[in-house]
Amino acid sequence: MPIPLTVLETRREARDDRGPAAPPTEDVREKVFELEAAGEWLVQRVPDPWIGVTTKYGRTKKIPVARTWHHKSCGQCGHIPGYSTSIFWLIRKLGLDYNDPRDQTSCTAWNYYASATSNQGAQAAVAMRNFGAAYESGYFPMIHCGTSYGHYKEVREELVHSAELRDEVRRICDKLGKPFVMPEEIVHYSEWVYALRDEFAKRRVLDLSGIDVTVHPACHYHKLVVEDAIYDPDVYGGQRTAVVSAVVTALGANVKDYSTWFDCCGFGFRHILVQRDFTRSFATLRKIEVMQEEANPDVVLTHDTGCVTTLDQSQFAARAHDRKVGVPVMSEAQFAALAMGAHPYRVAQLHWHNTEYRPLLEKMGIDWRERWREFEDDLARLKGDPKAFLTWEDADA
Amino acid sequence: MPETVLVIGGGPAGLEAARAIASIGGRALLVERRDVLGGTPDESNYAALTPRMGSAQEALDALRAGVEDPAIDVRRSTTVSACSGSVGDFRVTLSGPTGETTESVGAIVVATGFQHFDPGRETQMYGYYEYPDVITLPDAEKMLKDHRFVRPSTGEPPRNVAFIQCVGSRDRRLGNEYCSKVCCGVASKEAIEIRRLLPDTKVYIFYIDMRMYGFWENEIYWPAQEQHNVNYIRGIVTEIVGKDGRLLMKGEDTTMGRPLEVLMDVIVLSVGMEPSRGTRDVAQILGVDQNKYGFIALPGEPMDVVTTSVPGIFVAGAAAGPKDLEDTVGMAGAAALRAVGTVRGLAHAGTVAAR
Amino acid sequence: MVLQARYDDVPIEEKERLFGQVQADARFDSYLYGCYECGICVAACPSARFYDFSPRKIAQAASRQDLPMFYEQLNDDIWNCSQCFSCTRCPRGNNPGGLITIMREVAINNGLTSAKNALEGYGRVVYKIMSTGTQVSPDMLQPNAFPDWGPHVQEISDNLGLWRRALPPDTMHTTSTAWEVDDRTLTELYLIWHMTGVLDMIKSVDAGLHMILNDVMEELLEEAGFEAG
Repeated sequence: MPIPLTVLETRREARDDRGPAAPPTEDVREKVFELEAAGEWLVQRVPDPWIGVTTKYGRTKKIPVARTWHHKSCGQCGHIPGYSTSIFWLIRKLGLDYNDPRDQTSCTAWNYYASATSNQGAQAAVAMRNFGAAYESGYFPMIHCGTSYGHYKEVREELVHSAELRDEVRRICDKLGKPFVMPEEIVHYSEWVYALRDEFAKRRVLDLSGIDVTVHPACHYHKLVVEDAIYDPDVYGGQRTAVVSAVVTALGANVKDYSTWFDCCGFGFRHILVQRDFTRSFATLRKIEVMQEEANPDVVLTHDTGCVTTLDQSQFAARAHDRKVGVPVMSEAQFAALAMGAHPYRVAQLHWHNTEYRPLLEKMGIDWRERWREFEDDLARLKGDPKAFLTWEDADA
Repeated sequence: MPETVLVIGGGPAGLEAARAIASIGGRALLVERRDVLGGTPDESNYAALTPRMGSAQEALDALRAGVEDPAIDVRRSTTVSACSGSVGDFRVTLSGPTGETTESVGAIVVATGFQHFDPGRETQMYGYYEYPDVITLPDAEKMLKDHRFVRPSTGEPPRNVAFIQCVGSRDRRLGNEYCSKVCCGVASKEAIEIRRLLPDTKVYIFYIDMRMYGFWENEIYWPAQEQHNVNYIRGIVTEIVGKDGRLLMKGEDTTMGRPLEVLMDVIVLSVGMEPSRGTRDVAQILGVDQNKYGFIALPGEPMDVVTTSVPGIFVAGAAAGPKDLEDTVGMAGAAALRAVGTVRGLAHAGTVAAR
Repeated sequence: MVLQARYDDVPIEEKERLFGQVQADARFDSYLYGCYECGICVAACPSARFYDFSPRKIAQAASRQDLPMFYEQLNDDIWNCSQCFSCTRCPRGNNPGGLITIMREVAINNGLTSAKNALEGYGRVVYKIMSTGTQVSPDMLQPNAFPDWGPHVQEISDNLGLWRRALPPDTMHTTSTAWEVDDRTLTELYLIWHMTGVLDMIKSVDAGLHMILNDVMEELLEEAGFEAG
């Protein structure tokens, strides 16, 4: 029996009658500006043009379109380089100005959550050092990794509420010769992809109407400092974060739901390195198998380094136990790039991924054999010249 | 000095206050924004009242009959849009179907009540706007009033039903840190009604604490478990998602100390109380203090539960915070007495000295 | 999490001292309010499904200041947490995962054997992050490091240098770091580790590692003209 639309529609109408609810928490950005006025730090403004998106309690968040300083992810750049490459490719495709810095350290949060061989002061100092570097460059920081993003949101809360911590970190920044700067917004790249999803949709060259997607939201994106994450009343009624899902829909693919949507992927930070039975069991039993059984997706998309790594790499061992696995995993950045005609190897760098992705490419209408031949030619050329690299021009040739 | 007491709100508090005012020889002007009297029990289709299972319909009809009195001027589809003056001489502007009028009143009783928490809010993960089979206590009442209880998605009776307590209450993340007082009793009552209607249906209540005070404990809680086999499981639910066409809920069975996942046909959210739009609007218009949750503040509690921050303005019922019907009618009587005493120029009529 | 009198030989004063350190952390008051044992944290927790682990009991032991239970957790349970922070679903505003982060720092700062054991095998990552400024690098993709990821890791390892040159972003033509980090940047990172006492934490976990790191960092700091410490 079809679900009577009137039940849900009636409820939505009643919601409008009761009027808006006040946000239950303070807006930390107001505190950030107050501290600037009190001379505690500088606030780097989001450059124009920016796009306004809605966060959990209906507040507007400014997402910079261009002039972004790219706070890279070590897990992405280290193990899934197609992820970072695709983010840069998307920016370049839109002809936007950006900065890919060498004056950037890892956020060090993976180590922190794994081993706790750090402390509040060190973590905050690392964050502020990176923000200082961005400010010096004149470009606005955009964070690539979900954990970096969640962690930096926490650091902001801690700095705003503790004068002692601010003083400690300011002393460190002074010694380093770095300005003491808090950006107006802490922006995750998936928020930028969400804000510009219609631009990407316009440039789509593949037909994705037959592609079923399951979305995995990164815990650290939406569970750390919950109010600062994107929510959209048109996406899951505003009760689940809208990033990635909204992008999939904009690109014309199909978002399929599954019953462990809210579950962590099982990355565990230290578990994936030294207690891997947990990670691969959790990822397989609680995420991949459930997705397969309930949604049968062609691809799993997520927006964080750890999640891509966990979900992609955990499936191999599970096959030895005849578990129902075997669905490819990538970031929405790679998926969007592919949809816009990016090369699966030169840009999406899928040869670094573990779970079989070639049937997906075929279904998307990508001739991966031809593309791999092209890439092998690139590799042969590079082999012959140890000083040569693949360039952005090569990537789009 | 004008003799009339303005009663704002025609729900149980307002109806009882107006009746009580008339019963001691006073005059009341009763204003109600809807075109029917009865307030939330009427608007939210209350079926049986907690704890004695009396008919809400009958109770409301009795209250309505109580204001059919020449000393009570009832104005339906009317709201208060402005107020000036002070105790003994308030001038209020009423907006009604025929336009605006100005009235002079000597005292005011605010009885604007509450609204149910919206479980579709962004802080919740219960899918109220995604799954028709996730319903609220009032949604369940509506069905029970018609002596039926079915899955909204199929129209068929459910094989199992779960209640989740404290939705929108006792929650620092939401800002509603208080307890809404009645939901444990109401959920247990509805559970009993469902068990009576559908003897083969299993009913569960997932809770943090079961709060049924006084005689509600032995009149509702114990019978629910002992006679009607309602299963109480201690542990609250983090999210509801769809699975196999049913609802999957994730919680912890804290007594057993382990995570719990169960498929349900219907899940009833025990939504708490928030100040109604009327309460918020009227508080602003009258200049009456509100507490941090937006309810009308009671500066004199616990010994004075009807005096507001403005002399001559009193409150009755859930406009002052979560109240059950017993509290409500008690407050209504006290407010009526104080209001009439005020207009008769008696500073401390019939009650202990307010401080 | 069974209270089995496992650490009865440890004096109660010692347990109290460690608990005191957790309580004294600046974040403690914003991580622990009251707990009404609703269990929503356990419902959301991935580790609770695989281990005998309960964030609710972490919050309870800390609220009640139950020193024996706290000490058991400090040794046996905190390393099972996956630090996903799903437990921040807590309606009281508690953060059991955050309490665990503090407890882990205390365990390390006090050189607990259980902490050292938990971080055994993790030394190479600590070395990588502290000495290069990136936590994982391409050259960590070795079959002996990730045997359960399958033969694909071998393929990557065999082709690493070439494949890394086949990346368009020009900061990523690296193998020993995730991206190219300026020397100056590295110097600043070392200064942060020194000034915040993190190097001392490493000392209690792995003295050998500490020695190596110290040497590497001191050299770079001297070259840059800074005084270490």
